[in-house]
Amino acid sequence: MISIYCWRIFVMCCGEQTWATSRMEMGAKEKNQQLYKPCNGIIAKKPPTSLQQDLKELRGSASCPRSEPQFEMADIFFFCRRGVESILDDEVTKRFSSQELDSWNLLTRSNYNVRHISLRLTVIWGLGVLVRYGVLLPLRVTLAVTGIGLLVVLTTLLGFLPNRELRFSLSEKIHLMCHRICVRALTAIITYHNRENKPKNGGICVSNHTTPIDVIILANDGCYSMVGQVHGGLMGMIQRAMVKSSPHIWFERSEVKDRHLVAKRLSDHVADKTKQPILIFPEGTCINNTSVMMFKKGSFEIACTVYPVAIKYDPRFGDAFWNSSKFGMVYYLLRMMSSWAVVCSVWYLPPMNREEGEDAVQFANRVKAAIAAQGGLVDLIWDGGLKRAKVKDAFKEEQQNLYSKVLLGEQDERDLGDDQH
Amino acid sequence: MGAFQSSPGQPEYVDLKEKTGFSISQIRVLHTRFKLLGHNGETLKRDHFNSIPDLACNPIRSQIIEAFFDRRNFRQNGEGPVDEIHFEEFLMVMSHFKAPSPRMIEERESVRREKLRFIFNMHDTDDDGTITLEEYRHVIDELLSLTEDLGKDTAKDIADAAMREVASTSMAHMEPDEFFEGITFEHFLKVLFGGP
Repeated sequence: MISIYCWRIFVMCCGEQTWATSRMEMGAKEKNQQLYKPCNGIIAKKPPTSLQQDLKELRGSASCPRSEPQFEMADIFFFCRRGVESILDDEVTKRFSSQELDSWNLLTRSNYNVRHISLRLTVIWGLGVLVRYGVLLPLRVTLAVTGIGLLVVLTTLLGFLPNRELRFSLSEKIHLMCHRICVRALTAIITYHNRENKPKNGGICVSNHTTPIDVIILANDGCYSMVGQVHGGLMGMIQRAMVKSSPHIWFERSEVKDRHLVAKRLSDHVADKTKQPILIFPEGTCINNTSVMMFKKGSFEIACTVYPVAIKYDPRFGDAFWNSSKFGMVYYLLRMMSSWAVVCSVWYLPPMNREEGEDAVQFANRVKAAIAAQGGLVDLIWDGGLKRAKVKDAFKEEQQNLYSKVLLGEQDERDLGDDQH
Repeated sequence: MGAFQSSPGQPEYVDLKEKTGFSISQIRVLHTRFKLLGHNGETLKRDHFNSIPDLACNPIRSQIIEAFFDRRNFRQNGEGPVDEIHFEEFLMVMSHFKAPSPRMIEERESVRREKLRFIFNMHDTDDDGTITLEEYRHVIDELLSLTEDLGKDTAKDIADAAMREVASTSMAHMEPDEFFEGITFEHFLKVLFGGP
């Protein structure tokens, strides 16, 4: 009911929105294209070719006949240009901040260039603020509190039941009910596709990670065992309550480092066919929903069926990405609850198994490619951990190696040339 | 993250457009990138550049980053390094890489000189106007890896050979004891393009 209400308001604003869009961003189309494609006109960027090809081109074009000092100096141009290209635009750093929108959705938070355009737009924006903070937010907060409270209380009560079968079936119902309340609390409008591929017992469900809300969205439609670190405070209380009624896997911080222990616990859980499928996010961190980054291979080493799931949020209704370096969990939840809505699509992909002769990394990449293809996301090989860590020197050494090989090739030719003099 | 963020309005962009030759939309794109790299701060520091993974792969990344913090590239006739740069300085350095627009022949020459000056400054790390053997060797070291095929001596040899060639072209007469100071900018131009 609430969601229909929100939808109606949004449709009303849509008319104004299109007008605002065209006024606000004269030439925005050009700008946004430049944001996602190599910046034309700022520097002349060529399509990516191999190091050898580029160097040959560069040397061939130099006019002076003298070959020795010149080719070293000219080679600098190549690396210099490559370096500045990456400063200008690279695939990775832009994944760790929110996506920019083509047209404004009346939320100041999603617009980096807010200027006063007209009185009409400001009035509409003001109305939007009133609606969002005055009507939607209180309702949602109430729902959220109810949902979490019920979850904690009921699961704790369930823990006292002696009969295991009864406890199990009741726990499923309770979990589903509470998650549904939480979903209503966020006004999440979720479309599930291909439900026949829903994860079954004894498997692992993997998905791309944008926000902690991913968990609620998936748990809305089925029961999963969560995997994660033990937290303190409110999260810790919820975790302890949940584990009383169904088998979730919470790790102590010290155990996380011990990969074998982790793998063993996961394997044991998966081997028991009565237990629910495990939900894992192999990226290890939140990415901004425009791309899928490297999947850590740990979850793919366990011998069982993997059920990939792709989640894609519609950025026009609210920005779902949790930028953990910018704001904490509570502020993030409040932001979510004061957006228009959380609209997303969930695709259940057909189950995959590790093939003969395929190692964990290749399997992980295969799954990642399938998820990226379904969700319309960019498939990147970079590690999401780069959000916080620096790139290893090994990559720089690889480039140096490549260049040395090219030089060596030239060196042989030059030696021959010298001998002839 | 207040309700309304300040952004350079049109007049400031116009000013920057005059100085650098970028169009307003290009300046806007660069400004977005500047803010993204600097986490919405007013200035960029060297650390901000270090967080770009693609750049980290580049063998001469430290030279490229230094180039952004080198006053000689700000077109204000200054010298020496700075610790942080503002958007205007960022634009100035970027403008060295601007694709040349179809212009008169003389302008094209001066544009070419400017771009080469940028590369020259990248080699000349102590700001004395000449590239000495040491500086040149340092750049080659960065480019090559320390694998066994190409030992440290090979890098030295390449650098020495290069310097000898330059010396022989630029100084017709050289006494056996005379010490070759280094490549000046004029020599650099001559070597690369065989012209005045």
